[in-house]
Amino acid sequence: MKHASRLRPRLSKDLVCRRGSLLIVCLIFGLNPSLLYAATPSLAERVIEHRLANGLTVLMVERHQTPVVSINITFAVGGINEQVGQTGLAHLYEHMAFKGTRLVGTTNYEKEKPILDELALVGTELDQRQRDLADKGGGATAEEQALVESLQNRLLELQTQAAHYVVGNEMALLYQRHGGVGLNASTGKDVTRYMISLPSNRLPLWAAIESDRMANPVLREFYKERGVVMEERRLRNDDSPNGLLFETFTSAAFRAHSYGVPTIGWGSDILSLTPADTEAFFKAHYGPDQATIALVGDINPKETIALIEQTFGKIPAAPPPPPLVTVEPEQRGERRVEVEFDAEPAIAIGYHKPTLRHPDDDVFDVIDAVLSDGLTSRLHQTLVREKRLAASVGSDASHPGVRAPNLFIFTATPLAPHTTAEVEAAVYEEIERLKREPVSSKELEKVLNNLDADLVRGLRSNSGLASQLALYQAVAGDWRYILKSRDKVAAVTAADVQRVAKQYFTKSNRTVAVLVKKGANNTVAVMPVGEVRP
Amino acid sequence: MRQVRRQRLGRSVRRVGTVLGMLAMLLTFVEVAYSADPTVSDPRTMTFKPVEFSPPEPERVVLDNGMVVYLLEDHELPLVTITTTMRTGSWLDPTDKIGLAGITGAVMRTGGGGGLSAEQVDAELEQFAADVSIGIGRQSGSASLDVLSKDVNRGLEIFAGLIRTPAFEPARVELAKLQAIEGIRRRQDSPGSIVGREFAKMLYGAAHPSARESSLDSVNRITRDDLVTFHRNTIHPNGMILGVTGDFKRDEMIASLRTVFGDWEKGTVPELKISDVSEAEMSRPVVRFVGKDTSQTHLRVGHLSIKENDPDYVALAIANDILGGSSFRSRLFNDVRSKRGLAYSVGSRLHTGMHDQGIWLMRAETKLISTQEVIERFVANIERMRAEPVTDAELAEAKEAYVNSFVFSFSSPSAIVSRLVELEYDGLPKDFLQQLRAKVVKLTKEEVLAAAKKHLHPDRLKIVAVGSGEALPKALATFGDVKEIKLSPEG
Repeated sequence: MKHASRLRPRLSKDLVCRRGSLLIVCLIFGLNPSLLYAATPSLAERVIEHRLANGLTVLMVERHQTPVVSINITFAVGGINEQVGQTGLAHLYEHMAFKGTRLVGTTNYEKEKPILDELALVGTELDQRQRDLADKGGGATAEEQALVESLQNRLLELQTQAAHYVVGNEMALLYQRHGGVGLNASTGKDVTRYMISLPSNRLPLWAAIESDRMANPVLREFYKERGVVMEERRLRNDDSPNGLLFETFTSAAFRAHSYGVPTIGWGSDILSLTPADTEAFFKAHYGPDQATIALVGDINPKETIALIEQTFGKIPAAPPPPPLVTVEPEQRGERRVEVEFDAEPAIAIGYHKPTLRHPDDDVFDVIDAVLSDGLTSRLHQTLVREKRLAASVGSDASHPGVRAPNLFIFTATPLAPHTTAEVEAAVYEEIERLKREPVSSKELEKVLNNLDADLVRGLRSNSGLASQLALYQAVAGDWRYILKSRDKVAAVTAADVQRVAKQYFTKSNRTVAVLVKKGANNTVAVMPVGEVRP
Repeated sequence: MRQVRRQRLGRSVRRVGTVLGMLAMLLTFVEVAYSADPTVSDPRTMTFKPVEFSPPEPERVVLDNGMVVYLLEDHELPLVTITTTMRTGSWLDPTDKIGLAGITGAVMRTGGGGGLSAEQVDAELEQFAADVSIGIGRQSGSASLDVLSKDVNRGLEIFAGLIRTPAFEPARVELAKLQAIEGIRRRQDSPGSIVGREFAKMLYGAAHPSARESSLDSVNRITRDDLVTFHRNTIHPNGMILGVTGDFKRDEMIASLRTVFGDWEKGTVPELKISDVSEAEMSRPVVRFVGKDTSQTHLRVGHLSIKENDPDYVALAIANDILGGSSFRSRLFNDVRSKRGLAYSVGSRLHTGMHDQGIWLMRAETKLISTQEVIERFVANIERMRAEPVTDAELAEAKEAYVNSFVFSFSSPSAIVSRLVELEYDGLPKDFLQQLRAKVVKLTKEEVLAAAKKHLHPDRLKIVAVGSGEALPKALATFGDVKEIKLSPEG
């Protein structure tokens, strides 16, 4: 066996996602993770809840086997909150949140601040002038070009001056020195999350760092980090066949709602984001009432509450964030898009559907499990094993988020020499079967058994449980949604499945994206849609 | 939910931490005690008592047929997990049938066994929500059963049947081969996958067991009989180490294991021996690129390295930690990412095992025009590791991070047991981690410098880059004689 290093402790499996594909991450949420209730009635009694006067929610579960604790801070802010022209802002802010505060990450904030202020002005003007130059093409005057150059030089000077005060990555260093592992953060369409696991007696360190970061972030090294995010965009979306397929697919399915925008943002938007925009976004969306802190592990709840009151309790309450107003209009006809890439073909198919709290949402969770959970699931059985059309096939009941109406999606890779068109037709046959025949009671029983077992398994890791609790508190307003939803899933009938399949899985409600091998004969990939029933 | 994840990879800092007063051995469990005054809120000056913890000790039992079993009860949740590590692997693949071990492992899981058809196995396991996985990698095979404790006996029966007497149903064999072939066809889709595999081949050689890959021909030649023979010849009870954790009673579990495995006879366990790459080949610097239409250059730079039992292992691992292994704290992260904004993921890795030579590498993805600068930073940083000792602060931070996070190596019963299984498989003592920890505590910066000088070789670097075929040769030219690796369209 070969290891990254035996010198590095390996935490729970979920950290692997850090480097995993985007698809892995969506699975965490895809299956309805809601059946703790039947499996472990004690969860309801084990979660201790506390709310601060400033609106911050704290959830705690005691587990004393090992002197460690996992903490997940989830803010109800994400790509969904961005405005046109500023896409990627939620994610850029998450990166900037690792740059420190007035205390951490600097040798002297008083001296650093005026430099950072001028740097922001110069950088913003430089961005604007460069856009103007680009608009003019070759027609810029020598004077205009000289101005850009002098701004560039001034920016470099200021960056050099500012660097004298930077204590690079000091927040991360503090955590690591004290034995922290799994320091990470993630941004999605719905939420932004900050994670760490620590020896449990280091909780005061965590509270000091995080309450400071929630109140006093300082946006240092801004333009360098913007460059880092551009590299991240290239890595995840531009150079990844799957990343590009999903970006194109999702933006075709949503024409109005911001679910259609990739979380990382469009390249041109990222390159136009300013320190002022980022600061304003923080002020509007990072109020304590937008945050849930979940702590699972070797903690004393009373002491923990006292600690959090003393630290986070000092943060003033914030006004509510601007409301989300845009509603995706009803889709009135199939949409088809292609992506050309130097890679083997793949396909994504999606149907608009309602989200959490709508009774049909639980039905989709059942459909998702019947279709693609395990080796005996319908899609695997027919497309992979019997017909041998696909190398892999999957589904997800809530793409790309759950705070707004979303998509039920199918993804597949054909098994050569079969084509995406053949795979697509076979998926539609399975959909028709859902409409035509009731699912068997045995299939429904299997779905429930597996959901119950998965929820027990979800309790094994401190970080996994903290993640689930904080997530549902943030997106559903109550972590108990986990318990309620389980009962609703249990109540889903075969007739519900048929009705929902007929209502939503229609051709006019459908978006299809196909990854086409660059340079191949593209006509192959175009589906003879007229011959396939909805 | 689609999320953009922040990647962490390395960096260094000049702050002096609290002194290493926190080196507690694993002693007794201590109640949470906040020694820091919470009204003093500067996290930079906080100090804490050492983390003291004595993890539970698993029991080791050997069945009459030589099967080793580690057991550790844990009754918090109604679940049982049984894992097994098997002395088999693709190092045993015949040279004309590369891929045989992997396909054998896959069809052990999917092809039925223990008197049940493939469909019966799948249906029954999924009806009671058991997870079973079986796979065979380069240097070991592994299988696991994860099941609600109420179903453990039936689960174990099916699990043992798949391992002892897999049926290798012909239709499932054929399907596994088709899927392997599709995997080969899709190998060149992603630049990250290409650079990783080509780099390994550059280090070990394309025919070496640690780097070689299956091909359409090699997979097509594999028959069901080959799978049957591979299983019969390589998988034996005396080559297996089981780890059992969860909600069971020790005596009942041992009795159950004897029932399903006890009458399985010993066999000749294959010897895990992998030849070393020659010194001449190891020391030859190489610069190669693969042309692919991408926006970034995907880079790997490094060379072969030591095994895990090398006396310099701890010193080199800490050197690597400071150079690029420790995410935010490392020099490469700070230099290439934070200060220069040239890469999202950047760092170095020391991959070591006991059975073949290890790999030490630096990696990054960066836009084409910064390719040369990133490689220059790589080289400059290893030169610096070799030229001057790490700072006292860097070494103290690395030690503190290791010692204070040590408890996470024992964070769950399954983590504790799987660690013992791995160590026994690799022939290492069961207190190997504690020995490493003791060495870390005593390590000096002179030892780190000596290890860097001895084991990091700027004159032996193998550089592999995937990216623009037109521009890359020029970007790489200052680092040596650039040659192209031509990929075959089908792997």
